[in-house]
Amino acid sequence: MTAVLTPPTPARTSGRRPGTKAGRAGPVAYTLLVLAGLLSVFPLYWSLVAGSHTNAEIAATPPPFLPNATFFENVSAAMDQAPLGLAIVNSVVVAGSITVGTVLFCTLAGFAFAKLRFRGSGGLLALVVGTMMVPTQLAVIPLFMMIAELKWVDSLQAVVLPTLVSAFGVFFMRQYLVTALPDELLEAGRVDGASTHRIFFSIVVPVARPAMAVLAMLTFLTAWNEFFWPIIALTAANPTVQVAIANLGSGYVPQRAVIMAGTLLGTLPVLLVFALLGKQIVGGIMAGAVKG
Amino acid sequence: MTLADDSPRTVTAPAVPVPPDPTPPPVPRRRGPSLSRNRWGYAYVAPFFVVFGAFSLFPFLFTAWVSLHDARLSDIGGGTFVGLDNYAALLTNDFFWNALRNTITIGVLSTVPQLCLALGLAHLLHYKLRGRTFFRTLMLVPYATSIAAATLVFATLFGRDYGIINTALEAVGLDRIDWESGTLSSQVAIAVIVTWRWTGYNALIYLAAMQSIPGELYEAAEMDGASKWRQFLHVTIPSLRPTILFTVVVSTIGAVQLFGEPLLFGGNGATTGGARNQYQTLGLLMYQQGWTNFNIGQAATTAWAMFLIILAVVGSAALVGRYRARREGARR
Amino acid sequence: MTVRRRARAAAGATLALALLTTGCGGSDGGDDGDQITLTLGLYGTFGYEEAGLYEEYMDLHPEIRIEQSVVAQSGPYYQALQTRLAAGSGMADIQGIEIGFVSDVAANHADAFVDFAAEDNAEELESSYYDWKWDQASTDDGRVIGLGTDAGPQAMCYRQDLFAQAGLPTDPAAVSALWPTWDDYLATGQQYLASPTRQEGSAFVDSPNSVFAPAVRQGDTTYADEDGNPVVEDSDGVQSAWGLASQAAGDGLTARLAQFSDEWNAAFANGAFATIACPSWMLSYITSQLGDEGAGLWNIATLPGQSESGSTWGGSWLGVPSSGEHVEEATALAEWLTAPEQQVRMFTEQGFFPSSSVAAESPEVADAVSEYFSDAPIGQVFGEAAAAVRRTPISPYDTQIQDAFSAALTTVADGSRDPDQAYADALAAIEQITG
Repeated sequence: MTAVLTPPTPARTSGRRPGTKAGRAGPVAYTLLVLAGLLSVFPLYWSLVAGSHTNAEIAATPPPFLPNATFFENVSAAMDQAPLGLAIVNSVVVAGSITVGTVLFCTLAGFAFAKLRFRGSGGLLALVVGTMMVPTQLAVIPLFMMIAELKWVDSLQAVVLPTLVSAFGVFFMRQYLVTALPDELLEAGRVDGASTHRIFFSIVVPVARPAMAVLAMLTFLTAWNEFFWPIIALTAANPTVQVAIANLGSGYVPQRAVIMAGTLLGTLPVLLVFALLGKQIVGGIMAGAVKG
Repeated sequence: MTLADDSPRTVTAPAVPVPPDPTPPPVPRRRGPSLSRNRWGYAYVAPFFVVFGAFSLFPFLFTAWVSLHDARLSDIGGGTFVGLDNYAALLTNDFFWNALRNTITIGVLSTVPQLCLALGLAHLLHYKLRGRTFFRTLMLVPYATSIAAATLVFATLFGRDYGIINTALEAVGLDRIDWESGTLSSQVAIAVIVTWRWTGYNALIYLAAMQSIPGELYEAAEMDGASKWRQFLHVTIPSLRPTILFTVVVSTIGAVQLFGEPLLFGGNGATTGGARNQYQTLGLLMYQQGWTNFNIGQAATTAWAMFLIILAVVGSAALVGRYRARREGARR
Repeated sequence: MTVRRRARAAAGATLALALLTTGCGGSDGGDDGDQITLTLGLYGTFGYEEAGLYEEYMDLHPEIRIEQSVVAQSGPYYQALQTRLAAGSGMADIQGIEIGFVSDVAANHADAFVDFAAEDNAEELESSYYDWKWDQASTDDGRVIGLGTDAGPQAMCYRQDLFAQAGLPTDPAAVSALWPTWDDYLATGQQYLASPTRQEGSAFVDSPNSVFAPAVRQGDTTYADEDGNPVVEDSDGVQSAWGLASQAAGDGLTARLAQFSDEWNAAFANGAFATIACPSWMLSYITSQLGDEGAGLWNIATLPGQSESGSTWGGSWLGVPSSGEHVEEATALAEWLTAPEQQVRMFTEQGFFPSSSVAAESPEVADAVSEYFSDAPIGQVFGEAAAAVRRTPISPYDTQIQDAFSAALTTVADGSRDPDQAYADALAAIEQITG
């Protein structure tokens, strides 16, 4: 497994000028990028269109290509059918807590695996990586039995706690910190008489920040979009966004326009985060990926 | 497995060709005297393992136990012990082999174009660009879209009678395609959804790796008179090889566990993956066994079979990687 | 190390904790003073809140507060309910139970629900229902795990305009006379297909399932024998329904649509088919697909073969988990919601056909006419259909078995399988289901 991930030749990061040979983009490059960008947002745009038209209208030939004000009617219909406002608040709480927990615990553990030597660390890390490969769907039954035992059914901690850590996160942070965090820096801290905790917060965390940003974003998106477990652990009375969306269009009749409108509304907060923090997030990925 | 002992320049560090370097650079590992043998290590991994052990490890082992029973969903702990019978039955189950085949073809159909497109996209994004942050952010929009939302929209686009893809095909004089009911066509459609969702993400990973390729390599290639295309083939690609292997492994894990897209693609909630199971993946088969047919023992068995498959795939990738590494090492 | 950084880290941890505690707050429904809160766990087909029944009940019983939690589709709803039944907790005070899993609940979870046959007023309850409805929620040892809400007696809906265009009669009596049996129905289909004036591209029936689903329930057995064990190959209902439906599929009478898919929804608006099997709830489905423009397009005829037996599709029950905190109050509410008076209201206001024969025979229901469906006497049509339904045993696997046949028929319709292959496919899939 490591052989896959580790290049045969050790690399040095000093004495190079990375990325200096990138040429200026020509018209062809811009055209292709614009095309890729359009493809990226098209399905979202299409859900805006579909959210503005009835089934009959959308099935017409040629189909409509523009959204209209009906969209807002459908949004409010969606909000009547499911407590989307509450759902968004819940999802922010859930995804936010999971993100904070994952980043914190995985950074702690990643640091320990990367830099602290203790008996059995190799075996433990192998265990962590091994579980990345386990299909998760089946875990819901025993998980639900535990949640029921704890009387957590329908409450948010039922969806927060089981996903509070991730094996991927530990592995990711560990891989990042092994190189990004020079032992000399830790030694210097040690010589100054700093405790391990002090070293963690004053030396490790600042160095780990780009990777933490990446992990935070991935975790937030995954948590936001998770529906398999929440749909079982929560009910429509206290839903996350994905649970609420799954409950849209109630009745024998699926009102697709309402479902589409609600779905788009549920994606909106994430898009907003992207629009506002795009630079930081993408920058974080860059920094993380270079080292991680 | 020697994870903890390896230095981790995973993913992105250029593998080949690195300027000749007579002495291997110092690898900063196992050197720190005071931080090694640090009992705080346990304290630092403890929060993770407490949560992990309670909520991940227990269900995982429980599943293994269930797979040895003839258990129903409604009475999960009360089935009769049947040993390895479920596994034996799985090997002679046509639905399992069909799902395995589908998983492989959909996996190939989605992973290969996805990673090729991502490479190309990364190459484009690597240019000096106006609005580079804008473009990079745009590429991540699909990843931010939930599987449910994406599949819902794509299923409409791929509709037989009213989908706009067929409308477009007809407009250019081609025949309409019954995407959902064909074997290859439905798998292509699902692969398109997967590709759409992950290409931008992988492109950014590649882009990051490209930015760490030393400029000297390109300068040297240019002096040899290599064209841009040859530079891409002979400098960029080889330098990205570890990253590419990494993304292949991660996409493979994702492909074997593929579940949401084929579940939602049919549009009527069926877990069969099409009328002829033409796009039922292993993940969906497991879901059908457990939650449609209430046969949780069978489902647990399928889950463990998936685990073993992923283990085998990743294991062989690791062997290939190791072999390569050794060969490269010998060459130097 | 700067103090500021550390403070920030600490703030982060505090935030996490705060978020977690917020999460823990949440909904512990509980009792507020003397008030009792009753919760209903339902899927998207009940409509009690929309009909104002909760409000009325709370006015009648000020000490009761009612909250409902609705999942749109019964599939995910039942997954959650099953998980909760397996864990033995987490259920609402009243849970909806659908025809697709009522038999599973009766066979495997009867102990978890209040037995209505043991209530003091059991006889009165039983006598207000169609016998088949009461029967379907009964266990072998005579327990009754739920009270029926609506039912889905079936008729055959047809497009008047498409029939006229193809030179077929349009008057409901005349149309019903076209197809006393399913064979006659298929013959009418051939006639439709052969008509030179037929609207181009329109099929006779939406999907083979419009033949299979009603016909399979008109035999002596459907998918189960008297003991509730699955029988498929020996079922007369299956044999005759398969023969008819695969013939319809193979002869190109269908629009090759999978029911409840997006394409199927869209096809309503495009006049892609002239007939569709109509359980009573299909009326609201058609209405919402077509909107106001569809008024007067459709009409309703008798289901083929109804002189032998009626057929139902769908319908639900309300069950009261016996582990709840307010079992007595919940039982009273469930009885009130499903009482004939309320079933009448659910029909007049929401279009749900009663499963209570008393309600169905009341003038408000029996004399009802649908303007949208060309003044069809829906009360009479569906009332007759419901009265013609025979008691046939059901099994926990009915839905899955029917889905397997339905999928196999789709492959006959699209030409990828011949009927014999498709039948073998269905049997193989069913073997996976019944084990």
